[in-house]
Parts: sequence; C-alpha cells; structure tokens
Amino acid sequence: MRRLMYEAQRALASPVRNPRMATVIGRLLGAAFLICFGTGLYSHFLQEPLGWMRFATRPEFLYQVTQGTHIVAGIACFPLLLAKLYIVFPDLFAFPPVRGLVHFLERASIALFVGASVVQITIGLLNTYQWYPWPFPFRQVHFALGWVLIGLLVIHIGVKLPVITRYWSTSSPSDDHLVDAVSGDRSANAEAVRLWGLSRPGGVTRRVLDYIDATPRAESRVSRRGFLTTVGVATTAVVGLTAGQTFTPLDAVNLFGPRKKGVGQQGVPVNRTSEQAQVADAALAVSWVLTLAVGGTERSFTRDELLALPQTSVRLPIACVEGWSQMASWRGVRLRDLADLMDADPETSFRLISLEERGSFSKTQMGREYVRDPLTLVALELNGETLNLEHGYPARMIAPGRPGVLQTKWLSRIEAI
Amino acid sequence: MRADAKGSPGVVGVGGTGLNPPPAGIPASTSRRMRGIRLVLVGIGGLLLAWGAFVMLDSVRLTRLPGVALWIAAAIVLHDAILAPVVFALGIALRRVGRRATGTVIAIVQGGIVVGSIVSLVAVPTIVAKNFAPVNASVLPLNYGLNLGIFWLVLAVVTVGLSVGAFLRWRQPVAAFPDDSGR
Repeated sequence: MRRLMYEAQRALASPVRNPRMATVIGRLLGAAFLICFGTGLYSHFLQEPLGWMRFATRPEFLYQVTQGTHIVAGIACFPLLLAKLYIVFPDLFAFPPVRGLVHFLERASIALFVGASVVQITIGLLNTYQWYPWPFPFRQVHFALGWVLIGLLVIHIGVKLPVITRYWSTSSPSDDHLVDAVSGDRSANAEAVRLWGLSRPGGVTRRVLDYIDATPRAESRVSRRGFLTTVGVATTAVVGLTAGQTFTPLDAVNLFGPRKKGVGQQGVPVNRTSEQAQVADAALAVSWVLTLAVGGTERSFTRDELLALPQTSVRLPIACVEGWSQMASWRGVRLRDLADLMDADPETSFRLISLEERGSFSKTQMGREYVRDPLTLVALELNGETLNLEHGYPARMIAPGRPGVLQTKWLSRIEAI
Repeated sequence: MRADAKGSPGVVGVGGTGLNPPPAGIPASTSRRMRGIRLVLVGIGGLLLAWGAFVMLDSVRLTRLPGVALWIAAAIVLHDAILAPVVFALGIALRRVGRRATGTVIAIVQGGIVVGSIVSLVAVPTIVAKNFAPVNASVLPLNYGLNLGIFWLVLAVVTVGLSVGAFLRWRQPVAAFPDDSGR
C-alpha cells in the first residue's frame, strides 16, 4: 500500500503542483470566499435584520453592487477551486493515511472543506438558474454552509500558516515539491526501494506505472506559466460571459448569464410571477385598496386615490439576490408622504404585506431609514407605463439599496410597527 | 520510518501534520509566536464551524440533513474519484500525443481544453434547467446551446492559431529572427 501511494504521488507529480502555486491560488480562492461571505451576510441581514440594525440607503445601487459581486465571486470560485484542488491532489495519497489524532482531524477538516465548498458554489450557481435538484432547502443550507466554510477556511489558514508564510512572496522557491520525496524523476524509484525495500508491484499495475513513466515530463517553466494563464483565462471567461446580467458594460457578451438586461415585461426581468404567487384575481379585482395602519387608525386608498396624490419619479435599480439587476424608471407616491398623511412618528418602521399569502416574503419589514428616504415609493408606474401585473400591479414598493425580494409586489397593507 | 522524515531537505509537505513544529532554522521566538497565531486561528475557525453547525441544525429540519451530508460526500467522490483521475489521464494522453511538439504547444492545447470545460461546467446546467418547464420567460432567456457552440468554436480557432504560431516559432531556428535579438 505504501508503495502504491508513493507511486500515485510520483505519477501525479507536476511542476504546477508545488506549495508556492498552492499559496498563490489559495490566496485568490480565500479572497473570493471572504467576499462571498461578507456580501452574503450583508444580504442576509438586509432580509432578516437584528433589531438594532440600520442600513445605508446610498448609494442607491449599493445592493446591486454587493450582490452582483457575491455572484461574480462565486462564479470565479469554480476555476479557482478546481485549480486549487488540482494543485494539492497528490496529497490525497499521503502515507500512512492517518498519523494520529491531529493529523486525522486535519484531513477530516480538509475533506469537509472540499466537499462543502463544491456543494456551496454548485447550489449557489443553480439557484441563479432557479433549478433545485437537491433534497434540502436552499436558503438555510447556503447560509449555514457559509459559516461552516468560513470556519474551515480560518482553520485551514491556521494549519497551513508555516507553508503560507514560507511561500507568500514572489521570491519564494517555486521548485519545491508539494509532497515529500516526490521529485518525479526516474531515480525516485530506486530511492523507494532503498528507503523501504519496497519494489514496484507486478502485473497490470506495473504496466500502467511503466506506461506513465514513459510519458514525457512537462517543462517546469512552461507548465507553470501555462497553468496560471489557463486559470486566469478561465476565470475571466466564466465571469466575463455571465456578469453582463448585472454589469451593463458586459451586456454585449452576456452569453451564459441566467438573466438578460431588458428581457422581461416592461424591459425588467421578473423573479416571482403572479402565477407562482397566485395573486392575479386579488390584484386585478376592482375592490383592491391599499390599507395603511398607523397606531389605531386605518385608512384605505384605491389606486385612483393613490394616483391623485403628489407623484414622484425616481430611477432605481431592481437588484435580486440571484445577482441580476436592472435599472428602471418608477413613478408613484413617496412612502414618506403617506406616512406623514397618517401622522406616523418619523422613527417608525413599517411592515409591508403583499396580496400573496404563502411566499416567505409576503410579509416583510422596512426600517425607518428606508421609510424616510425620499426615493422610497409606492410605485404605480414602471418605465412610463402602468405597472405590469408581473411587476406588482396595482402597487409595489421600490426603495434604494434593498434586495428585490423586499421590494414587495402586489401591496395590500402597510402597517406601522 | 515516519512519512514526513523521507523528504529532501528544505521540502515542506503541504500535507504535513497540523501543528508540527516549524522547519529548523527559524528562531524559537518566531516559532512560538507562529504556534500561538496558529492555535488562535484554529480556535476561531473551530468556533465559526460550530456556529455554522448550530445554524444548520437550528434552521434545517433533521430529516433533510442526510441529504446535505450525502451531497457533500458525493462532491468529494465526484472530484477525487472521477474528475481528478480523468484530468490526470487526459494530461498523460496529451503529453504522449504531443511528444513531438514543444511544451508550449501542449500547454496551449491543454489550456484551451480546460477553459472550454470550465465554461461548459457553468453553461451546461443552463441548458438542462431550461428544459424544466420555465414558469417565467425572463429566467434563462438566452439560447445557451447556441452560445456554447459559438464559444467552443471561437476557443478552438484561438487555440489552434496560438498552437500553430508557437509550433512554427519553435521549429524556426533562432537565427531566422535577427530583429528579435534584442528581446
């Protein structure tokens, strides 16, 4: 077994598989993980704020940027993670497999790290396609795995710190081998015999190993430059060909983004349809009113009554947790004006209630910083037309810097909390 | 003999035991500080990991957790037992086929295949997902199959072009480029 593990490591040896490369790619991957974690936490707390939390409402495209970055960094993790795993793969064949409790924990943590990372970026990507082929809830698992991964990342950095510091700078040696005693040259075979008295196994195994040995070795400098160039090009390609869904300058090369700018009713993509939300009847009913409740008083507005109030036009992006965003023109009544009409205290937060009865975002909360913001509207028009049913007719919220799921569509009731 | 004793001097195995003493030649004070920092990092990481486990247990129904574990295990198997060996075999095959070519050409062809594969990894699920009765026309609105075909075509042209260029440069004697002597 020892001999076989040794042969595996020797066969896998490559100029690319060295600790300097592991450090270089590991840094980038670690940075991408931290960016995903930070932007993910921000998005999470926007949706489920702790009581004391207040959020910035400017710049109004803030959430578009943080969540667009979350998805871009997540997509960049595909080439970076595969590159990192490629570099350290020979490590899998370490012998003996376990050298004690600490070594066992280290290897177990790495196994979990690898598995959880692959799952995290995969379910994240497929979520942007609205495709859920797994037997567990996406949001909860993605959030919990975020904490798990960041914990494993910190542990990993702690464990590998001597390697990381040794190979951090550009002047560090790039010819060291990742795995002990694996130099890949032919004399290594003789060395194995000398060290352990273990000769190469016979039969098919021997023929496979001889075949691998007879394969020309790659040139070091060319392999390393080729590897880094490949990782760079692959990362640029997956990011560049998808990021157009949020980053307008790349719209023209948006070949693989799950959304396209301008595609959707009134030029704006839709996340949840009226059919999914089962609101069409209630939303199109002539009896629809928007009810405001502040303190003990309630007041209902028909759509015509809302249109008769002073109207404000704003340009705000709608930005989704799935990473796409779309700038649009909205027109409607300032929420602040409605609150003042009801004599609401300026410190009050509001609860927004949709006609939708089942969805997880049918009731959401809006902190006072958004309620008092002059850009926050009860929108009645989109891009110069009456709001389409798919965009929340008769009335929806639009506020600066909030995720799309909180821009409540098919508004029914607004309550002071 | 312990496995980590067999290395040549100066070689640090990335797979080395977690909290082993650092390599010789580093002052004791540095190594003590290093050890301290590492312990703190592992401790903080352990707390974050525990919190993540708690969040998982707290927010996901118990009957769903085996599914999460299964997916994580499957991801490890998928990479370690399928993807990595396939990549290894392809690398061997490419180096043998290209034994008459320069390393640069092999690196370019290899790079082209890898870039195409990774882009396909992201793009193919869009084609599959699109078939699951899209309830919403603004999700996955593009013709991803066609786009992927165009991408591979452009990639193939660029890869072949670069390879031919590299191959010709390699075959040409250096003296044929007197103007390049300054490089």
